[in-house]
Amino acid sequence: MTLQQFETLYSTTKDSVTKHVMAEKFDNLEEHLEKFVENIRQLGIIVSDFQPSSQTGLNQKLNFMITGLQDIEKCRQQLHDINVPLEVFEYIDQGRNPQLYTKECLERALAKNEQVKGKIDTLTKFKSLLISELGKVFPEEMAKYKAIHGDDPPS
Amino acid sequence: MTEIFSSLYGQPDSQGPSGPSALGFGSGKPQVPQNMGPMCFPHQMVDEGGPIRKPSAMNEPFYLLRELPMENELTGHTNLITHYNLEHAYNKFCGKKVKEKLSNFLPELPGMIDSPGIQDNSSLRSLIEKTPVCNNSFSPLTGVMLTGFRLHTGPLPEQYRLMHIQPPKKKNKHKHKHHRPQDPLPPETPSDSDHKKKKKKKDDDPDRKKKKKDKKKKKNRHSPDHPGMTGAQPSSSSSLR
Repeated sequence: MTLQQFETLYSTTKDSVTKHVMAEKFDNLEEHLEKFVENIRQLGIIVSDFQPSSQTGLNQKLNFMITGLQDIEKCRQQLHDINVPLEVFEYIDQGRNPQLYTKECLERALAKNEQVKGKIDTLTKFKSLLISELGKVFPEEMAKYKAIHGDDPPS
Repeated sequence: MTEIFSSLYGQPDSQGPSGPSALGFGSGKPQVPQNMGPMCFPHQMVDEGGPIRKPSAMNEPFYLLRELPMENELTGHTNLITHYNLEHAYNKFCGKKVKEKLSNFLPELPGMIDSPGIQDNSSLRSLIEKTPVCNNSFSPLTGVMLTGFRLHTGPLPEQYRLMHIQPPKKKNKHKHKHHRPQDPLPPETPSDSDHKKKKKKKDDDPDRKKKKKDKKKKKNRHSPDHPGMTGAQPSSSSSLR
């Protein structure tokens, strides 16, 4: 195995390991959040039609709520380097799917990419046309210019 | 065209104000820029007896000719989505139709999550802008604190009941193994539900009966056993003869 092959193999394995570790952290947080939400939901059911015999269950659920918050607080330390764009929160506050934000980002990126590519292509064509026309009008000057900057690659 | 070109390059024979100045290019002579970097272009041109150039510019055959910038490998000319290996993500989000509602993203989350957060003051934006002031640690509730959570018996007032209604979930083909306790549904009068069901059945039955009758009539008309068929319609065998 050559050094380059070893480096590529090392980088790919490192990326896959980091992705796996990050996925585990997200799964851990997701699990704690689901348990917390379920606990709150059951608390709501108990409260919606309260009976005296439900008092102990209510107290238990309240303490589970606090331990759930403690578990979520521990997960926060593992994910301190994760950044979430604020625009996603606007989608959530409007009751919209946050995946629409990702979709719109990708579509905007592709549209901008195509726009810039068009500009580059147009300017490249303009440059080659300008050099050819200037070469017809000022052949000596353009020969000096090409000697300094070299021949332009064909567009 | 050649006159404008030569005036920009600062020929000693000035053209006069009628030529380039009429076109807005100034008097036609370059000036050494003071306190300006090499990237700035001189706006005014003053006649000082000859073209004044920087020592470095005098060695060049073309005035203000600079080296081309270093070519960046990654430009807008390349497809950045393939460059950053985002094809799978693009096909996933843009190839298929992404559903609009938040409940499609979080189907198991209880409550009315599709409504805007501003309505019930549960928006994330308000949480960021006005962070609640609280202690750093979470401590469990003691027995004395729990006495504050003694509730009155009976159902909740109507204004608070809607919080527990879940959005209608789609029926999955695969049955879930774990079962959750059912939520309290809003109270419905049993007489109304039965009456509605009965009404639906009554409406469907006469329509169904009519359709069945029509189908039977059509079948009977086209069947060879029907008495009206043999006499009325000419037989195909007779026409061939």
